[in-house]
Amino acid sequence: MIKTIFFTVLTVVFFYIVWINNIFAPHEKYEMPPEHRKIAMDYKYAKEGRELFIQNCAACHSVRYDALYPTQVQANPMLASLQEKYGKVLPRDVYESVFMNDLNALKESFGKVPPDLSTIYLVKGPEYLYNFILEPQKVLPGTTMPPVMTGRPEETAKIVAYLRYVSEPPPQEKAKRNIMGVVTIGYLIVVGVLIWLWRGRILKRMGLH
Amino acid sequence: MIGRVGRWFNERAKLSELWQSQMVDYKVPKTLTFPYAFGVMAIVAFLIQIISGIFLVMYYQPNIHTAFDSANYTIMKEVPFMWLIRNVHAAGANFFLAVVYLHIFTGIYYNAYKKPRELTWIVGFFIYFVLLMTALSGYLLPWGQLSYWGMVVTTEIPTSIDSAPIIGKLKIGETISVWMKGGYELGQITLGRFFGLHIWLLPLILLGLVGFHFYLIRAHGITSPDGREIDKKKEGVPFHPYITLKEGAYLMGYLAVFFFFVFFYMKHFLPADNYDPANPFKTPAHIAPEWYLLAFYTMFRSIPDKFLGFVVFNLALILLLILPFLDFSPLRSARNRPLFFAMFVVLVISSMALTILGTMPPTPTNALLGLIFTLGFISFFISLPIISILEWGWYKAKGGSKND
Amino acid sequence: MEASRRDLLGVAVGSLGVLGAIGVLYPIVKVLSPSQASLAGAKVEVDVSQIPDLQVRVVSWKGKPVFVVKLPQGFQWNGKRANDQNTKLLQGQDAYALVAVCTHLGCVPLWKPQGEGEFNYPLFHCPCHGGFYSPWGDNIAGPPPRPLYVPPQKREGNKLIIGEEGFVKELT
Repeated sequence: MIKTIFFTVLTVVFFYIVWINNIFAPHEKYEMPPEHRKIAMDYKYAKEGRELFIQNCAACHSVRYDALYPTQVQANPMLASLQEKYGKVLPRDVYESVFMNDLNALKESFGKVPPDLSTIYLVKGPEYLYNFILEPQKVLPGTTMPPVMTGRPEETAKIVAYLRYVSEPPPQEKAKRNIMGVVTIGYLIVVGVLIWLWRGRILKRMGLH
Repeated sequence: MIGRVGRWFNERAKLSELWQSQMVDYKVPKTLTFPYAFGVMAIVAFLIQIISGIFLVMYYQPNIHTAFDSANYTIMKEVPFMWLIRNVHAAGANFFLAVVYLHIFTGIYYNAYKKPRELTWIVGFFIYFVLLMTALSGYLLPWGQLSYWGMVVTTEIPTSIDSAPIIGKLKIGETISVWMKGGYELGQITLGRFFGLHIWLLPLILLGLVGFHFYLIRAHGITSPDGREIDKKKEGVPFHPYITLKEGAYLMGYLAVFFFFVFFYMKHFLPADNYDPANPFKTPAHIAPEWYLLAFYTMFRSIPDKFLGFVVFNLALILLLILPFLDFSPLRSARNRPLFFAMFVVLVISSMALTILGTMPPTPTNALLGLIFTLGFISFFISLPIISILEWGWYKAKGGSKND
Repeated sequence: MEASRRDLLGVAVGSLGVLGAIGVLYPIVKVLSPSQASLAGAKVEVDVSQIPDLQVRVVSWKGKPVFVVKLPQGFQWNGKRANDQNTKLLQGQDAYALVAVCTHLGCVPLWKPQGEGEFNYPLFHCPCHGGFYSPWGDNIAGPPPRPLYVPPQKREGNKLIIGEEGFVKELT
């Protein structure tokens, strides 16, 4: 009995540390004022954030999964016909070869092609993005990203809200997934319990209990 | 009508006889404990991987330009329910390995590798090894930063041979490394070959090995937790429905936990850094192997000499393989073997500690701890022959003989 | 009492099992369902002022070839009329679209503005089994069982929009 408890606890603690919350591994923490966090976490601001993104960031950055391309590419007449052929979201190889000149021009000014931001929210999380967009040099010294949004924290939070909107499933979809999850887990538990009860009955009849 | 077709089929295929002999007349000890269910959980995890994998192949594109977008746009955003299938496949890989580890440790605890089941253990070891290969090759496919750099490091491991004295001059390691990648750089050729291995060759080998493993289990019967071979005619209970329903109920619990992760907690199984497309010019700040390789990684990293580290982590694998021959004691099951039980605890704690150390930064203290736990891990295997000799002594003193 | 309760449990487990199987099949069927993108691409715009009179353009709509026919002002056609379903439907239009798939066995007919063989007026001729259609797609000779299909289409000035409801409401 003691052995069972010992091994069970050991296993559960082990997987808790390895899979859920590793208290031993180093974590980077970035602060974000709660009122701006609230904005960044609200899908309502995503539309406004998109406008702000186009005004302030789209000169260099693309959000390909939202069919948003750098200004220079957007001005290229080839874009429309390519989108007609391949769909709004262009395949990466097509995009990079057709607009090579535009992308190379950006590369010359910044040392590298400014990254596409379709999945950046999933990589960095809201706190990092908020701090980085606000003051790039402070978070990542030596970066070529210009401090476009410095002094405009609320608008920065709205841009973060937009990046979140692009990366994560929309709220109705998220709610649907949560319901599916709860139903699936509930179903499995109910079936498990029923099998257990059923087994008891069968074994009693067979005289094996 | 359906009944008649069923009867016709059954008479030809002799399905009910197969069922009767393999499920009902197949007798197992009544005292099987919960950890025995890890086996059936592993086979279910394997089935889940195969089914979800089939659907992922339909939308995934093994091309370095489009792989990332096919995984993160087409699969995650465009096709309905593909997000679910990817989540199931990614979490499923981790659960599969977790359950296999638990199954291995259960086998060690109950001495399931002892005569006549040595071959079952050896086949099981190869299942584990091929499974690691499958996990590694699959990890490359999304072509994110972790995929790319994880594989860069993996394909560099064989070059450790080149820092060995004398044979290092032959540059065998570099040759292996270049052959793994299909060139000097990790590119389209590498992705293509790992894709092929991941979806065809390795799963087929796994299927074959798992089938053989099953056959061996049926051929020799199952061990009992108290280490006594049962008299199958008198003591055993029918596998169906006694065990099937019991483990079926456990299985539902396992799946409930699994789907909790699939729906609500994918943060660990689809790690954040892998949402960054592969960039050959920038290594991510924190890069470590997946948790199921961390124990070997820590052994490799804690030992100051590159070649020696390589030798030690391979030694760990080989020791696991030859375990049935290291332990030749007449006693079975840790329940009856206090010395073995103590060393088993050392093994479990060392393995867990090595894994957790792998997630920590490589400071000198951690390297020292890694060294200590590596010794702990290996000491379990080294102690087995000694324990066996001692136990033979007791066994004979109590009047047992070799022919018992 | 004993027996009935046991049976109830068995039935409950069995029916929940069936429910679970359906639950697993549902996402799989959804995954295999036709992609949104290919269904959404079902709208094509054609600038008919770019097409010379009595000429035909081939465009792609829903993965099928579609003829866009441009007729001159006051076009008179005195060919054989075996069937006038499409002619009525497309009456008064100087530009319209027809699904360019022969209703016999699926080949793409050829546009013959000068006529072909015994027919010396503009028509469509299918090279596979010799079906003939009027410029409006009505079958006039050969094996085709019915006129060419007409996609839903709409006219806005010089633009012909295929795939949107207009003077033709639905695929006929």
